[in-house]
Amino acid sequence: MSTGTITPYRSGQRPGRDDFAHLLRSEWTKFRTVRGWVIAMIAAAALAVLAVVALAAAASGGQNPAADPAAPANIGPDSPTVAIGPGGEAVTDDFYFVHQSLDGNGSITARVTSLASSMRPGEAPPGETTPRGPQPWAKAGIIIKASTTPGSAYAAVMATPGHGVRMQWNYTGDTAGLPGAVSAASPRWLRLTRSGDTITGYDSADGSHWTQIGTATLAGLPQTVQAGLLVAAPYNLVATENFASNTVTLLPTQATAVFDRVGLSGGHPGATWSAGNVGRAIGQKVKVFSTGKKMTLADSLVRSGGTFRVTGYGGDIAPYVTAEDPLGTVLKATALGLIAVIALGALFITAEYRRGLIRTTFAASPRRGRVLAAKAIVIGVVTFVAGLVGAAVAVPIAERKLHSGGWVSSVYPIWSLTSAHGVQIVVGTAGLLAVAAILALSAGAVLRRSAGAIAAVVVLVIVPLILAVILPQGPGLWVLRLTPAAGFGVQRGIPQYSQVMHVCEPHNGCFPLAPWTGFAVSCAWAAAALGLAVYLLRRRDA
Amino acid sequence: MSGGLRAQAGTLREAVHAEWTKLRTVPSTGWLLLTMIMLVAGVGALATEVVKCPATCSQDTTKLSLTGIQLGQAAVAVLAVLAMSSEYSSGMIRITLTAMPRRLTALAAKAIVLAGAVLAAGAVATAGSVLAGRYILPGNGFTGAYHSETLSLAAGSTLRAAGGSVLYLALIALFSLGLATALRDSGAAIAVMLGLLYIVPLLTDLGSLDPRWQHRLQEWGPMTAGLAIQATRGLKTLPIGPWPGLGVLALWAAWALLVGGLLLCLRDA
Repeated sequence: MSTGTITPYRSGQRPGRDDFAHLLRSEWTKFRTVRGWVIAMIAAAALAVLAVVALAAAASGGQNPAADPAAPANIGPDSPTVAIGPGGEAVTDDFYFVHQSLDGNGSITARVTSLASSMRPGEAPPGETTPRGPQPWAKAGIIIKASTTPGSAYAAVMATPGHGVRMQWNYTGDTAGLPGAVSAASPRWLRLTRSGDTITGYDSADGSHWTQIGTATLAGLPQTVQAGLLVAAPYNLVATENFASNTVTLLPTQATAVFDRVGLSGGHPGATWSAGNVGRAIGQKVKVFSTGKKMTLADSLVRSGGTFRVTGYGGDIAPYVTAEDPLGTVLKATALGLIAVIALGALFITAEYRRGLIRTTFAASPRRGRVLAAKAIVIGVVTFVAGLVGAAVAVPIAERKLHSGGWVSSVYPIWSLTSAHGVQIVVGTAGLLAVAAILALSAGAVLRRSAGAIAAVVVLVIVPLILAVILPQGPGLWVLRLTPAAGFGVQRGIPQYSQVMHVCEPHNGCFPLAPWTGFAVSCAWAAAALGLAVYLLRRRDA
Repeated sequence: MSGGLRAQAGTLREAVHAEWTKLRTVPSTGWLLLTMIMLVAGVGALATEVVKCPATCSQDTTKLSLTGIQLGQAAVAVLAVLAMSSEYSSGMIRITLTAMPRRLTALAAKAIVLAGAVLAAGAVATAGSVLAGRYILPGNGFTGAYHSETLSLAAGSTLRAAGGSVLYLALIALFSLGLATALRDSGAAIAVMLGLLYIVPLLTDLGSLDPRWQHRLQEWGPMTAGLAIQATRGLKTLPIGPWPGLGVLALWAAWALLVGGLLLCLRDA
């Protein structure tokens, strides 16, 4: 043990070059002063914009019946009717409605004691004999609706076979209430109260303890509205696979619900219930699968005392959903820019290995992890900015081209760049490019050879999108969950509604994960690769 | 070739020998070919493992067992690009062209050696994936009424699909070599090559596009046209037939080699 204190030698000069800001600056200088890289980055963005716009011009909706489902030419006897909802979006508004007029404020209450949903007899698709279970989104409940015109504003509280009690309003709104299915032993009490434009929904298991589910504001609700019972039986979707393509079969269903303790306050004294179908003429003929013949399936109401037994064939009150995603499809052309960005990300470090510059870099800044972090930030930010500019230019032009090509904006919305979904597409695309660049930089640091690193990252990021379409649907969806390609989900161009049954098909551009969850998967890959690169950089000689 | 030229310029045979020595003594060649074999056979086995018959019996099992080619071709492209561009990055090209002043002969020798190596490794890889399919598929229910015959190279269409896949890989190597000769930089060449390969299937496998455009792109895309050789079912629904499809890829490769050869002769090394 020494008694005196020995001060170690310290240079009088301040350590200038080793702080992170200087490191960032030197890496930025390295990128900025290679003219070919700057030109390549700008060219990559321009190429991606051109490819997206050209593809949008080629994706003419004129050939595709899904482009405008409300066009007279596309409406067949079996196709669901399409109306325009209060928000300008395409909706399905076709259900069996037992209703009375409600004047001003008031409320409606009912108890649902049974809800049976099943495939219609004789409707099994060819070659299939197993009966399908209930449609999880069959609906039986109470509704307050501006009028019986399809597409008019409404708020409803309903029981469903698969998703418990829901409060839904104006087609797109959806909040969960009591969970579980309805039975005689476990009925559901439902209540809606109107106060001005505001409608509040309640549910209860016993009729005395009520829980508020939510409130909905229906702007411009008229003084007199229609209140009553609703039953809807949406199609059951079944995916069948072929060697060439997957097809989704729509299976018609029926739903029967039993209501009692129906109470209406605020109605006209002495008024009676009238029953009818919104959006469809009563007694419309429906084609039966098994026979191919058309037969009349009339929705029905049977009353005995205070009990209402209501049967609905088909129909739904929900947003109209489509399987097609033209904007998401044309945005896949950003893959051209993505490949260029992957090449730049890899070259940002492999070029240093090739020229021997890496030894100078590490001599100047011996903490190698920080060098790689600075490189990742520089290439990430540069790519993000280029991607942001490119996407902000390409997305509005592509949307307008698609719209003028026949894809109607009520189904395929034109997102404003300031809307949440518009921000998701543009920022998400730029982020995806930046993440791919960082992944490529890491692969470059690990492999130290540009061609191998570029090919590896292209195979990881882009090829899964191709494989997902080739493989059968189940494994295809797993490919889109687990690989860095999961991040492409941020480019989805159509809104997704969880309250409508849909089949996720990769060939329609559907991604199984939520957009930002998929993006997080891509980020996790880049982070893991960066970690491996830092580890190997420290271990190996340069 | 006359013997008199031998002393100055060397014959194609000597050039091939030189190129073969170069290719075989670089460690990356072995690694890349091994990667390709693992990708082709591994992904093929995985793809056949995940299909189950009662659910998806109408699968084209031959094509499915050859799915790995779509990934393995990237390793072949890297190999072919490096065969040319690494000579430029190391300066070796000047020695090569000094020893073999006939530049087209040098390029032809490279093409022959590359094609030979890729054909041999590709045959191993394809045989591996077909074998994997042969053993895995019956266990997944592809037997009896739907698929009476197991996957076998004795069947004409399966042989065409498997043999064609080997040719496909060789054509990808030649195409990449041509591009690398024209572009010289490995990063640029591999990026352009993979872009040309993957962008067409990426866009046309999705819906929403005008079917006429889709059809035309698939007919002329090097990968979509070339891989038509793998189809054994629904041949009438293909945008292009198996052999004409492989012909389209051969045109791409020939065109790239032509441009690359022309630039090689015209430019300074």
